[in-house]
Amino acid sequence: MSTPIMQQAGRKVLLMGNEAIARGAIEAGLELMAAYPGTPSSEICEALIGAAKENNYYVEWSTNEKVAFEVATGASLVGARSLVAMKNAGLNVAMDTFMTIPYGGTKGGMVVVVADDPDAHYSSNEQDTRFAAVYAEIPCLEPMDQQEAKDMTKAAFEISEALELPVFIRSVSRISHASGDVKLGAAADPRHGLGFNKHYKLPYRWNVYGPPGALHKHQWLHEQLPKAAAMANSSRFNTLDLVPGAKTGILCTGLAAAYGKEAVDRLQLDGKVSFLKLGFLFPLPEEMIRKLLQSVEEVLIVEEGDPVVEGLVRSLAKEIAPGVKIYGKSYNPLLKPYGELNTDIVANALAELAGVARPAERNAALRENLRGKVIPRSSTLCAGCSHLASYSALKEALRRFKGNHIVNGDIGCYEQGGYGIFSAASTANAEDAKKYPINSPYETLDTIYVMGSGIGLAQGQRQAGYEEGKVVAVAGDSTFFHATLPAIVNAAYNRADITLLIFDNHWTCMTGHQPNPNTGKTSLAEDGTRFDIAAAVRALGVEFVTTVDAYNRSEAVESIAAALSFAGPAVVILQGECQLQIQRRTKKGPARTSVDRDSCNGCMTCVRLGCPAIIYSTAEKKASIDAISCTDCTLCGQVCPQKAIKQEELR
Amino acid sequence: MDTNLIVAGVGGQGSILVSHVIAEAAIRADNDANVRVGETFGAAMRGGAVASHVRVGKVYGPLVGRGQADLILAMEPLEGLRVGVEYLAPGGIAILNTEPVQPVDAKIGAVNYPSLPEIVDSLAALGKAVVTIDAGKLALEAGSDKTLSVVMLGAAFASKVLPFAEEDVREALKERLPAKILDINLKAFALGKQAYLAATSGVAQTKS
Repeated sequence: MSTPIMQQAGRKVLLMGNEAIARGAIEAGLELMAAYPGTPSSEICEALIGAAKENNYYVEWSTNEKVAFEVATGASLVGARSLVAMKNAGLNVAMDTFMTIPYGGTKGGMVVVVADDPDAHYSSNEQDTRFAAVYAEIPCLEPMDQQEAKDMTKAAFEISEALELPVFIRSVSRISHASGDVKLGAAADPRHGLGFNKHYKLPYRWNVYGPPGALHKHQWLHEQLPKAAAMANSSRFNTLDLVPGAKTGILCTGLAAAYGKEAVDRLQLDGKVSFLKLGFLFPLPEEMIRKLLQSVEEVLIVEEGDPVVEGLVRSLAKEIAPGVKIYGKSYNPLLKPYGELNTDIVANALAELAGVARPAERNAALRENLRGKVIPRSSTLCAGCSHLASYSALKEALRRFKGNHIVNGDIGCYEQGGYGIFSAASTANAEDAKKYPINSPYETLDTIYVMGSGIGLAQGQRQAGYEEGKVVAVAGDSTFFHATLPAIVNAAYNRADITLLIFDNHWTCMTGHQPNPNTGKTSLAEDGTRFDIAAAVRALGVEFVTTVDAYNRSEAVESIAAALSFAGPAVVILQGECQLQIQRRTKKGPARTSVDRDSCNGCMTCVRLGCPAIIYSTAEKKASIDAISCTDCTLCGQVCPQKAIKQEELR
Repeated sequence: MDTNLIVAGVGGQGSILVSHVIAEAAIRADNDANVRVGETFGAAMRGGAVASHVRVGKVYGPLVGRGQADLILAMEPLEGLRVGVEYLAPGGIAILNTEPVQPVDAKIGAVNYPSLPEIVDSLAALGKAVVTIDAGKLALEAGSDKTLSVVMLGAAFASKVLPFAEEDVREALKERLPAKILDINLKAFALGKQAYLAATSGVAQTKS
């Protein structure tokens, strides 16, 4: 077994897209990598952490994407090649710095990888971040497979240095989390020729306010764009297969080119349609596009996400080829501007445009009929997860207060507190809107949007005068450091009458158990400072702060109830390390928790904890414990009114 | 000829590992073939539905087309059905581990888990053959319940759908697994292979 990304140069190996990006950076002589975990981007930094010992670069998990972006920029300004990676929504956090750095430009190659998530497999939205590259006026690349993901990352450092601009690589889930064959190049040693020149080629280069100021620097940025467009026109990541006399053209960007090629093969249109594949897509390679548009009558534009390139091509076409009819996701739509693509979808669109028969779906009626037999598999928290304990205590505490309470969620494993049970019918009527559901922890959260948003929303609800019930927000420990600090100061400063629960499980779990400031370990598992969340919250001005063991059910309920009664901002920190991490350290045999079937009266109180280790037989009206997954956390025993759950020798 | 297959299961069962071993072995067998693995996993660290698409040949994208899977390798029956209903090709084979992992929806009695015969019949109506394996039992026989996915890999290899020789898959296992657990996994592979051959010999499993 060897680290996949550090295999021998020249070998063809299977790499995940994120690993391929990491390998590309190593082949470019990476000197610094910074990131905040976010699915589907996390494995880029993970892979570079895994290969750090064999290479001479610095790598860190930063506290959020804006900090990571700034760390990478700082490295570039002193001449180092730096990489920063984040998920789609992470770019929103980094946006302030992201928009302004291009004005002064960069020195050492700086590559920004953003992994978008068409279909929202792992994200709150489907935002297409290529808009941001266009917005910031920096080059944008988009790989079609894992080989290109590696090659493009390496090339992006060179493009960045040639243009003195950060280069944007837009990945998607099906690149980042998919794997493919990749032929490895040679790893390069970092150059380490660092230096700082405050007037590098331009006066006050890195000081956007320094004379001659931002306007001049914006002008400089615009002077770089034609140079970037020339590079796009000759880029090896852009290929045009022009079929003389072909009426139909297809223009695909990034991964869509893979689907487009397969669609052409499937419809047997090879040699019958012209095909433009774009990997270096902003600034537009205008010459190549001109050649395509001036040789066909109609073009289908295929891209994952929004019609970003389509919009740019339409405006170019108006000038250079107004007679060509353009199909895509906006006008003349053959594709949808939401969800993700696949070969079936692209083949159908191309078949419709080219006027050829769509391949018939085999067994379509039978498949439709059999779909009814497939039952859902709801997403759940892990057996014994401390979040289950925290939600159970929160629900119990809220039940002591009358009213229509609001619980604002946040991002992390605990967001599953708002996923619901997939098989339960969801009714959306006014009567249900006033009900407080107690059936499972998965129906706790009323709002979930983005990192750190819950605590701000809670303040607005209360400050607007909402008094019909309690107003609560929850956030995890990594989210606490990432995005809640200014909002907590705001709550203390403006005396918002809200309760904030911090679910402290010591790790950034949902993205794969990365360490954070609360873990006491750095990215390379070296000892770091273990932060004291309670002390931090007090220092931010909150008077009511309690820390409690999430698994001590009665104490957790009392602490939350006291916080809910407190007039003003109150914070309860519920501690309980991630059970998966505990299980990894302490290998255990079968659980020692069991249900005494004679005492169990089928009341389902334990089932409502939502723990996947608790099994309930509707036929027998009895609960039982799955001894393989149970972690002996003792929570079910604490809530059982019949004392039917036996947990001898525990706690 | 392209090969399209999907490894399905529940998070933590080893579906991703097996799909990567298959892809790695395919690269060893044919250095010119394109190999793609498309995965969906994420929200649930443990216990969520996982489907890993593996494609070998003149392929570009990471996803198998609807109704185009030559093989569905399911670590869990319901997940085999979930994937099979969408992707199993009329000429395709489904190999199912017989042990269900009940979703929380069934555990709390909100829905009933379909019976194994119901799952087998549904897949048999769509594909060429359905083979069931008690992989959990064989995994314990090999030395650890954690070798379940490699038992299923052995069965998949015996189906002759995979485009490589046994030597390629052994090398890929060596590459992907820590040395100390290699032997029990090679044993698991052999047991899975035997079980598939035993299940398909004599009795006509193939639909006429």
